[in-house]
Amino acid sequence: MGYLVSVMTFASIWAVLALSLNILTGYAGQVSLGHAAFFGIGAYTSAMLAVKAGWSFWPAFVAAILITGMVGALLGLPSLRVRHDFLVLATMGINFVVVAVFKYVDFFGGALGIIGIQKPQIFGWTLRGWGFLGLALAYLLLSLWVSDYLRRTWAGLAFATVREDEEAAEAMGVSVPRFKIYAFAISAALAGGAGSLYAHFLGSIFPDHFAFVESIGIMSMVVLGGLGTLRGPVVGAFALKILPEYLRVVGDYRYTLYGGVLVLMMLFQPQGILGEGSWLWRRVHTWRDRLRGRRVFSPERRPSVTAPPTNPSTPSPPSNPGRGVLQGEADEHEER
Amino acid sequence: MNLWNILLDTLTQGSIYFLIAVGLTMVYGILKILHIAHAAVYTVGAGVGLAVFRLTGNFWISLVAAMGVSGLVGVLIYRGVYFYMLDQPRIVPLITSVGLFLLMQDLLQKPFLMGPYQHAFPAQDVFPSVRLPWGDVPSAQVMILVLTAATLMGLYLLFTRTRLGLAWQAASMDRDMAGAVGINLNRAVALNFLLGSALAGAAGVLVGVFYNSVYATMGDVPSYKAFVVIVLGGMGSVSGTVVASFLLALAETVLLSFVGYVLPRDAIAFLVLILVLMFRPQGLLGRS
Amino acid sequence: MSTRKGDGLLEVRQLSRHFGGLRAVDNVSFQVHTGEIVGLIGPNGAGKTTVFNLISGFLKPTRGTIHFRGQPIHGRRPNAIARLGIGRTFQIVKPFAQLTVRENVLAGLGHGIYPSLDALRRHYHNPKALARADAILAEVGLASYADARAGTLPIGLQRRLEIARALALNPVLLLLDESAAGLTHQEVEELGELVRALPARGITILLVEHNMRFAMRLCERIIVLNQGQILAEGPPTAIQKDPAVIEAYLGHSGLGHLPSASRR
Repeated sequence: MGYLVSVMTFASIWAVLALSLNILTGYAGQVSLGHAAFFGIGAYTSAMLAVKAGWSFWPAFVAAILITGMVGALLGLPSLRVRHDFLVLATMGINFVVVAVFKYVDFFGGALGIIGIQKPQIFGWTLRGWGFLGLALAYLLLSLWVSDYLRRTWAGLAFATVREDEEAAEAMGVSVPRFKIYAFAISAALAGGAGSLYAHFLGSIFPDHFAFVESIGIMSMVVLGGLGTLRGPVVGAFALKILPEYLRVVGDYRYTLYGGVLVLMMLFQPQGILGEGSWLWRRVHTWRDRLRGRRVFSPERRPSVTAPPTNPSTPSPPSNPGRGVLQGEADEHEER
Repeated sequence: MNLWNILLDTLTQGSIYFLIAVGLTMVYGILKILHIAHAAVYTVGAGVGLAVFRLTGNFWISLVAAMGVSGLVGVLIYRGVYFYMLDQPRIVPLITSVGLFLLMQDLLQKPFLMGPYQHAFPAQDVFPSVRLPWGDVPSAQVMILVLTAATLMGLYLLFTRTRLGLAWQAASMDRDMAGAVGINLNRAVALNFLLGSALAGAAGVLVGVFYNSVYATMGDVPSYKAFVVIVLGGMGSVSGTVVASFLLALAETVLLSFVGYVLPRDAIAFLVLILVLMFRPQGLLGRS
Repeated sequence: MSTRKGDGLLEVRQLSRHFGGLRAVDNVSFQVHTGEIVGLIGPNGAGKTTVFNLISGFLKPTRGTIHFRGQPIHGRRPNAIARLGIGRTFQIVKPFAQLTVRENVLAGLGHGIYPSLDALRRHYHNPKALARADAILAEVGLASYADARAGTLPIGLQRRLEIARALALNPVLLLLDESAAGLTHQEVEELGELVRALPARGITILLVEHNMRFAMRLCERIIVLNQGQILAEGPPTAIQKDPAVIEAYLGHSGLGHLPSASRR
């Protein structure tokens, strides 16, 4: 039981990481394979404030979020100069450099990492086990709320325009650099909070916890579940965290699994198993409609040019501008 | 650290970087895909080379076998995976490549393949060492320099004198147009992968012999250094790759010998990468 | 700043843009007055779209100035210029493909909010914005496609969407880059009607066109560009008869004859 709680806690933390990457890559279209760097910066910030400056968890946690957010804005600057493949390389590079700094600069504890990070306390009660799981889940819920809220704001719409077409976005009055930095900052801040939770849960952290391979893992979770959606990253994170723990065979081949997931998803369902237009999500939708007694209507069928005009007086809900970078062409292939 | 040693080290390291990176730049030139899994192909070459060497004791057979198997693996990756993604947005093959790299490297570490150990590759003195008036060139370095020079010659002739090379150049400039004028794209790309991957496999063998060490994660460092090289040299430009390989090697050697251990050698490459991407993404020789 | 009909709205002075040795735009000067419909024509490669890119901020001039309502705008970022009231369409349509048609227009409606932190707070799907978006869509005739994904529309409708998006900026000056390209005869007619109605709403038009008939019939004034320089300027009737203009066209893509503008 204790083991399950522990696994769920990790899964929740990774779900937040996946959601934060989703904001950067799914909403704003900035592909990053270095997200573990923000995870690490948050973890180290919180850990060092706690261990070396004697801060208690809560201020350290908030500080981790704020500081990682600011560093994220800074580390997002390459995105103003390069896009796509080049940006991916830059983010990979940033990941490596950040880990190298943790490993070789003595101030951060070097290869020995930081140990002795205390658990959080609330009103004198130490949070561990179920208590900590509750904290992690609360943060996950907060992240979900932030993601959802952001998607409905003008900023969320701006993110979508930056993702779809940067020049057209500028022509609409969207300052592309400003919103790219927003995306990095918000995404990093959320990841930083997750890092803080990680550090205080584990009690000790080491530079290699935040290596490039972890960034790939986070991306795998988002891609597996469905880039651009809210359900996708969460489901992907839980799947890829829980599965290896309970299937020993899978556990030994954890990285093979991550890699395999990426390859297979990209080949067959680039939009993720629960992404918009995916095989599974369409089934879920049809079920939902059936249960609600509605006329079964495929939500993914695009209105053709000759379709009857929709009634202009009933506004439709937002069509999820948070859809990811993988949609269009993937759907094209779907309709084959 | 005298001048001769610095020169020799630079040439040797640069040659190694070139052999690894050239396949990567060839693939990028023609498909615009960042073939991260290339580094795993390199490791496969080292592993196969060592296995064959243990069986035959012959360096040359091992080298050819390694190149053959690596080339094949490369073509399989193209035909089995990338081929289906050519019209997708670029992030799709990119993520796929990352997944392939992770998958391959993890499998290579399993006991039934290379295991988590370091193996020796005792192919001694395949080439003679050379005595020059100003210094010696050890056998291992002769091997690398000679083989790299041969490769450079071969590639030059291939790209400029053969129809295949012309097809590659055309395809890298405009893939659709190249297809439209009758170039058999599929075959050209497959051969491109074949050669690039074979060269990576050869690099694996040479590095294995040079350092007398073969291990499953030896692709980690080349995986990013090769990228630094191709970005520095201009993605898709083979001549750029040549220049960049030696420049990077020079930077590392000089920094290490004069400045000492400020940062690990590998981090230098990364800082170079970030700087180049920020200030001159088209590379030193590329056109913006 | 009020702009009455006839005022100099856009002033381009000695504008030049060089790409290495190539002078894409070479010492170009002209004015656009409030309420006008001005056409910018010229053979392929004359520099027309480059001029647009310079005005809308996507390129910085090598030399020269651009003033809009008296303020210098050369060298400013595209998003700032868009918010000043200059909207544009693109020669190759650039819809936000995954967003719906309505969301494409909503994107432009946010131009006032994007610079402030309020953008992170306020929802875009509010009644006022929706009403405005639907009004614009109705105006261009896209109301029935509001929920369609922009990437699925045929080219004719996508061109209209480009205009709708630009209108969402509440522009004072509208730059139309080959909006008639790839349209059927009927669609071109409809486009012409749409554009002709705009100055009455306070929107001045500067358009780049290859479709001679369309440009001649719609524009009060034509500026002819050739190899980066202004070749001629004047009413359509004069331009058609200008021997230098005819030479430029016959020498290049061979237009035969320029259609008369008398059939209005």
